[in-house]
Amino acid sequence: MAHISVVLSQTRSKNPIKRHLEEEIATALLLESGTDFAVVPHIYDLYPGDTGLLYLSSVKGHIVFLSWLYPRAAHWVLDRNGIKGKSGVTLLKSLGEEEDEEDAGGEEEDHHGVGSDAIPDRHIFCLDLRAYDDPQVYVNEIRRITQEASVKFVPLAGLIQEGTRPAQFQQFTIPGKDDKGFVITGEPRAQRWYPVIDYTRCTNCLECIDFCLFGVYGTDHADKILVESQDNCKRGCPACSRVCPENAIIFPEHKMPAIAGAPGEGPGGLKIDLSRLFGAPSAIELAAKERDTELVRDGRQAVGLTVGIPKRQAGNSPGEKDDLDKLMDDLDRLEL
Amino acid sequence: MGKYEARIPTDRSYVPTHMWFRVEGGAYRVGFTAYAVRLLQDVYFLCWNVEPGSAVVAREEIGEIESSKAISTIHAPADGTLISFNQELLGDPTPINVDCYGTGWLFEFEPAGTELLTAADYLGHLEGTWDETQRMIKGQMHD
Repeated sequence: MAHISVVLSQTRSKNPIKRHLEEEIATALLLESGTDFAVVPHIYDLYPGDTGLLYLSSVKGHIVFLSWLYPRAAHWVLDRNGIKGKSGVTLLKSLGEEEDEEDAGGEEEDHHGVGSDAIPDRHIFCLDLRAYDDPQVYVNEIRRITQEASVKFVPLAGLIQEGTRPAQFQQFTIPGKDDKGFVITGEPRAQRWYPVIDYTRCTNCLECIDFCLFGVYGTDHADKILVESQDNCKRGCPACSRVCPENAIIFPEHKMPAIAGAPGEGPGGLKIDLSRLFGAPSAIELAAKERDTELVRDGRQAVGLTVGIPKRQAGNSPGEKDDLDKLMDDLDRLEL
Repeated sequence: MGKYEARIPTDRSYVPTHMWFRVEGGAYRVGFTAYAVRLLQDVYFLCWNVEPGSAVVAREEIGEIESSKAISTIHAPADGTLISFNQELLGDPTPINVDCYGTGWLFEFEPAGTELLTAADYLGHLEGTWDETQRMIKGQMHD
């Protein structure tokens, strides 16, 4: 059977229901053969060098990653931390996804982004712990993935050498079972706030680097956008995500699903949002306002819509349809 | 009013959004009143979405709290500056439940000239809005 590493990123909450779900899954998986199991602190809060990240980096094979985030958010937080892989298809839904929605949790469908660099030939399956209350659902899905991996990816799994694991991991073994479990927790980490980029969507248009005036974004040696100085980001501010034309910027902890990495398109996507008809500001106006708030807090001048506003907004070319046009088309199609 | 006892100490001031204010050093220490904690019940998680030192305006959203009853946003109690947050609560928010008037304080705040309520005023406010509060809570149960 293919070897799979299952890693559970803990909730920060003391909610006993959430803790119980984690414990039930852990208990079941520790007795499962063919899996290595580890618990790490909430992935979003970890800094480079944290034992949780060192552990994840040491895993070279397929990973099933359980977290309290949208799978897309979890995948790109891992990617930002150098834990890369192809996005594995899960049959489980993420939070808020309808049961009859087709496969939205799987591979990215229709995007034309620049892609992430140096993706190794292994899969990372991100599962959303917020979606189901029953631990068995997750355990069954992990079994299914392990089973499928043993059919599909046997040569790969056989070839991959596991890296050496730092000795400081608190390790425990289950009698009669070769596989090991790891618990990496320790002191609670400070809660962080920063964007991650979904490179399957990002077209490297660099609107975000123009818009953000706090130096969060930078480019690499190949002029590709990256989140360079994560902690320059202003807590609670999701403005760059609103200006991203591809909805590629994720703030995993934002309360709007479209910004937090929910599957599907942004607010302009499938579901009709009428709030602009009723006077709500556009995403760009909202973003400029949020940015101004942070500028003023830093003792700087508010700039409103005068700096770094995406070109698509500056001169809406007559040929291109804007959100409202699309909305009207959608309404026409309803044949009311 | 409800049948549970909510202790409202007279050694501090209040705002109608169910927070107490008490002078501590050069600023006010702010926390939830027993009434707010009673409605929240067990607090599981607390996070802030503004940086310490931020100027805020009254009712601006500043954080989120998860409890056994609800996930709620937290709003600035007045215009002013949020000086610092109680770091102890970020790892474990239990003090909010066990000692809401002491170690369960939320943040230090410097109001920009806001009028605060006395304990008696706040009690009066609670009496006056209890019917409305019940309607607000019960209305949501049918959503």
